[in-house]
Amino acid sequence: MHEKKTTVKVAIESATEPVAKVAIESAIESVAKPAAMPANKAATEPVAKVAIEAATEAATGAAIESVAKPAAMPAPEAATKAATKAANKPAPKTATKTVIKGLGFCSAGVGSCVCSIDVDEEQDRIIRIRPFHFDQEYPLEQLNPWKLSARGVDLDCGTRTYSSPLSLCYKNRVYSKNRIPYPMRRADWDPEGERNPQNRGISPFVRISWDEALDLVAKELVRVKETYGPEAVLAQADGHGETKVVHGTHGCQTRLLSLLGGYTLQSRQPDSWEGWYWGAKHIWGMDPFGQQNYQVNVIKDVAENGDAVLFWGCDPETTPWGWSGQMASRVCYWFNDLGIKCIHIAPDANYTNVIHADKWIPVLPNTDAALQLAIAYTWLVEGTYDKEYLKGHAVGFEHFRYYVLGGEDGVAKTPAWAQQKCGVPSFTIKALARYWARHAVSVAHCNGGSYIRSAFSHEPARLEVALLGMQGLGKPGANQFKFIDWSVFGLQDVNALVAQSEQPDLFPAYRGRENPIRPDIIPKTMVPQAILHPPIQWYGNIAAGLPREDQFSGPYVYPKPGKSPIHMIWTDSPCWETCWNGGFKMQEAFRHESIETIMAQHIWMENDCRFADIILPTNTKLENLDIGSDAESGQWNTVYYERQAISPLYESVSDMEVVAMVAKRIESFGGEYQGIYEKYTEGKDVEDFIRLGFENTGAAKAMGFDDFKTKGYYPFPAAEGWQDLPVGLSRFYESPDAFPLKTPSGRLEYYSTSLAYYFPDDTERGPVPKWVEESAEHKERLSCARAREYPFLIVSNHPRWRIHANHDDALWLREIDGCKIAGPDGYWYEPVWVNPFDAGVLGLKDGDIVRIFNERGSVLGGVMVTERIMRGVVYQDHGARVDTMSAGTGGLDRGGANNLIAPNDVTSRYSYGEVTSGFLVNVEKFDVQGLGFEGLEAQGMGYEAATGLVFHPAPQGAGSFGEARAADGASAIEGLVAFGGLAGLQEAAGAAKATGVPAVAEEGGTL
Amino acid sequence: MKVFVFDYARCNGCRNCQIVCKDEHCGNEWPGYARSQPDSGQFWVRVTEKVRGSVPKVVVSYTLNMCRHCDDAPCAGICPAYAFKRRDDGLLLLDPDACNGCMLCAEACPYGAIFQNKDLSIAQKCTGCAHLLDDGWKEPRCADACPHGSLRCLDDQEARIRYPQDYEASVVKAKEHLILLNAPQPFVAGTVVDLVADEVLIGARVTLENKLDGSLQVQDTDDFGDFWFKQAEAADYQLYIEAEGYLNRSMGISTTEKDCNLGIIEMSSARFFDAEEDVTMEAALDIEAPRERKEGQSLAEGNDYYVFKNT
Repeated sequence: MHEKKTTVKVAIESATEPVAKVAIESAIESVAKPAAMPANKAATEPVAKVAIEAATEAATGAAIESVAKPAAMPAPEAATKAATKAANKPAPKTATKTVIKGLGFCSAGVGSCVCSIDVDEEQDRIIRIRPFHFDQEYPLEQLNPWKLSARGVDLDCGTRTYSSPLSLCYKNRVYSKNRIPYPMRRADWDPEGERNPQNRGISPFVRISWDEALDLVAKELVRVKETYGPEAVLAQADGHGETKVVHGTHGCQTRLLSLLGGYTLQSRQPDSWEGWYWGAKHIWGMDPFGQQNYQVNVIKDVAENGDAVLFWGCDPETTPWGWSGQMASRVCYWFNDLGIKCIHIAPDANYTNVIHADKWIPVLPNTDAALQLAIAYTWLVEGTYDKEYLKGHAVGFEHFRYYVLGGEDGVAKTPAWAQQKCGVPSFTIKALARYWARHAVSVAHCNGGSYIRSAFSHEPARLEVALLGMQGLGKPGANQFKFIDWSVFGLQDVNALVAQSEQPDLFPAYRGRENPIRPDIIPKTMVPQAILHPPIQWYGNIAAGLPREDQFSGPYVYPKPGKSPIHMIWTDSPCWETCWNGGFKMQEAFRHESIETIMAQHIWMENDCRFADIILPTNTKLENLDIGSDAESGQWNTVYYERQAISPLYESVSDMEVVAMVAKRIESFGGEYQGIYEKYTEGKDVEDFIRLGFENTGAAKAMGFDDFKTKGYYPFPAAEGWQDLPVGLSRFYESPDAFPLKTPSGRLEYYSTSLAYYFPDDTERGPVPKWVEESAEHKERLSCARAREYPFLIVSNHPRWRIHANHDDALWLREIDGCKIAGPDGYWYEPVWVNPFDAGVLGLKDGDIVRIFNERGSVLGGVMVTERIMRGVVYQDHGARVDTMSAGTGGLDRGGANNLIAPNDVTSRYSYGEVTSGFLVNVEKFDVQGLGFEGLEAQGMGYEAATGLVFHPAPQGAGSFGEARAADGASAIEGLVAFGGLAGLQEAAGAAKATGVPAVAEEGGTL
Repeated sequence: MKVFVFDYARCNGCRNCQIVCKDEHCGNEWPGYARSQPDSGQFWVRVTEKVRGSVPKVVVSYTLNMCRHCDDAPCAGICPAYAFKRRDDGLLLLDPDACNGCMLCAEACPYGAIFQNKDLSIAQKCTGCAHLLDDGWKEPRCADACPHGSLRCLDDQEARIRYPQDYEASVVKAKEHLILLNAPQPFVAGTVVDLVADEVLIGARVTLENKLDGSLQVQDTDDFGDFWFKQAEAADYQLYIEAEGYLNRSMGISTTEKDCNLGIIEMSSARFFDAEEDVTMEAALDIEAPRERKEGQSLAEGNDYYVFKNT
């Protein structure tokens, strides 16, 4: 080991001269670092063995080491290393360095779930991930710790984060056997010749050097731009995942593409809160969300004045985990302690229901509108609604009343009528209506589920507001609030718990997606249609977060007259198949001949990556230096300096660095591309951006940047006088003139004049919220003719043990009871909940493997016979990793990614949300014998039950991917030398070439 | 001495304890305390779940299982290699260097809390994160990561003062260093309905009589016609339902094997169909079509929209 250190030192000295000034460059250089130690080995092998390996390596690989280390030491990290040692309190013997990381997964620069990461610096590996203690550097008194008290029971903010298992298991993700280790190209994709789009998702990949990869990418980008125009590149640059700031996570490429003249943006509409956006906004404004924005002190109000909370399709024990940890769960326990009646309304007994609920009202998926109308009917007939309130706070109520009582369609929306639609007994509907009318009732939400992600989801959303209005919305104990998104869009008032003195805004440091309003877009839900059957038309700029009025702009078309359709896709969020509406159709789009190039940059080999032509390896945030904020935990808002925990694994770089490298390569084409790299980086390094972010927060008023780095974080105290801030919509309740809503009238609009004016022909989202049985596009009711063939409704919520498509490879989650079901073939299937009654009819028992199917295709699942789901409904989490046995419409997926068989059509005629729950399927037993793994193996992948799909890197020199260049590990360094101009590395590269860089694990093994 | 405390009533099944135990011991060696645990397959702390009841009265009970660090530990007693070491703080360690891998201890453990590491040919189990406690940590990883204080690791004194009875039962008598609080009991539930009137019955008196000892539990049905005895012991019961104007009902039930959701319990009117008022809630309202509105027109004008003829 001694010898090793010496060589490193020498190497650093020899590299002194050219050490990059720009930290981005130096981080890029880290790709030159060969994976000195296979990561999984490092994570699992006994210390002694690892030490032996390292020692052996030191003896044999001195030259390699000398190449690797300088490059693997990005300048900022080197600079902070000394600070790290000084900064942390005396390190426990059980770790040598502790770094702070936000391990929340909202992405989009909104951090959360701050954790402490203990690191073994010598072995360059993570030891442990644990809850963060807010008081480790600051006295508690300084933080204005808050405490809520009601009915003799307290809820306090605690002193450490209430982390979720999704954060604490993250070592599994970092060291996943599914990591993408190096750049790859699809074997039968030849940019000079035959591109074979029909083989996407089938044909194997060959390993290529970074040099070659950058060449391919740069040439393709420039070729497509110059041949078709810049709009021919589609940027898929959104979604959830790691939350990085300088390193972006999603959308770094949009900044480069803008510099190249533009692009077409896959415009992400609100996902998980579709109905609120497309519906509720038209009755109560509430831009940009559609749910009640003013949530200040609402939880306090419920505790003090509320009788009951309706958890309507709401699961605080699941959905907030990846966003904000488990504070929401604590609030639920507190409500229980206070004796607040927790009423759950959903087809499934979700994870909150089964431990916190006082009452479960099972309702068939996407029939909540019928239940709501019958509640309104009961109140109308019995006169138990707040007529005085409506006079001053609402307009158009008589239209609603007319419809509910049956004047419009001759059908009175009685409880008996609703019972037929929604499966809730009419006596229970009446009981609920009467209870609600007599008590102070608030409604709580998280996100997702069939309540808000089904066809016509704008109707239940609007109807909920209609009901709240009928009972004096805003009066004590009667608001709507959320257990999640307590900092969404940086809004101050969305935190339902306790107001904070600041929402830290790191925008100046954020290098992810630029402004989502773009001249050229395709709504994300319509991408398959746009590729397969252009032209398409829609209204609105779609992007989540726009005001209500945007929904009336347009119509827009794709492709624009005179502009090219897309011919290239650059994705950094390759999970469309398993996260959006009708993934089997998307597979067809991926294979469409008009798409000449698909480039994916990602950390793990999963989902859409397998349909790519070029794959570039990115890395986890534990491998980056960054800044982060936490405004979601509901404890203290915090801003923190995210030191690099470990060196980048394999040949990976960050998302931002990938784009910087591409920019550098494009620059080499000269001409108009001159200086594009400088424009992209704005001449700043990572540390510069971090500093800008820091200076944009109030922390900069409290401390200097160096002090911030030393302490590592700054927690903002709770707002002074937070207890006295007006509750939720209490001001609207008291004075609608002084505090109007953001609707045209400033009131609750039971009749939306805007919808009547702009979309007079819309029968699905008319001016008055209604029950919509079916439409030309959506026949997803048990009453539809299709239901004879597909007699079950499927519910697909946000998953308990994943965040959308993330975490499906985390083995410590997979081995939890009920996370997966082991099939007879050794494959762990995604669970399907089947009611015992239905299981009896279908002849199913626990552990059977079934096919869930409709005309759009089939996905497999492992049966759990359970009372947690009502009759006539099956339940399967969304977001399982795609493992397609046959692709395209009518295909078969083994992974259980049920979004593949969700409807392709959008929410309704003029509402462009996804429909990914509450649709018709059938279920039948499926024989899995003989399914095999040929498809996976053909793509260099394999299956291990503990991890699921794994990626098998090419054995060194063996060329199992068919091409000898796979073994040419040194080419990466050559590439960097070529574009980075690091003279000092030239010689080292030669040395590496001579010895052969052991860039991958031992022969035949997995990483 | 250390005493673990697990509160059933505060466990939400998040498995943080189970996961951080692996985070600490998989891939990490703690010389003198424990060898590295395989990536999957061992559960030094494990939470399992049981779904109880039936639609729409369903609950899940989460149960924790871990080494009890028993005073009279059968694992230690049977070990031919004398590999078990008792620390001053009461934690029972299994010395990996002394272990010969015979696995007799695993067979002896009544809780299945000892696991075989096939690669290393040794037995492994919970160390109480002794290496961390010795390094200044206040509690082991599992307790540190529990967001609800459902799992805690207390000093002997604190455990004794906080939970004197449970301490006496678990620590003193059973000689185990794990106290279990609020262990779930079977429930009895149902919804009382007059199906003819199509109404739930609110305030019906429900009496649960334990057939063995005659003890009674009494509830009145709530606003939804529901009753729910959440902590009925496993026993045979006679259930009585009484409501003014209805015939009484009585039924024999049992919770000895599982929870008892009786579902909808129909009550018959004692008046025997004497012309109840209209129960179908047909609208008696006079409905008039409002006039159409367009953008820009005020809808707030006048009160006529809210004047109903019969209200």
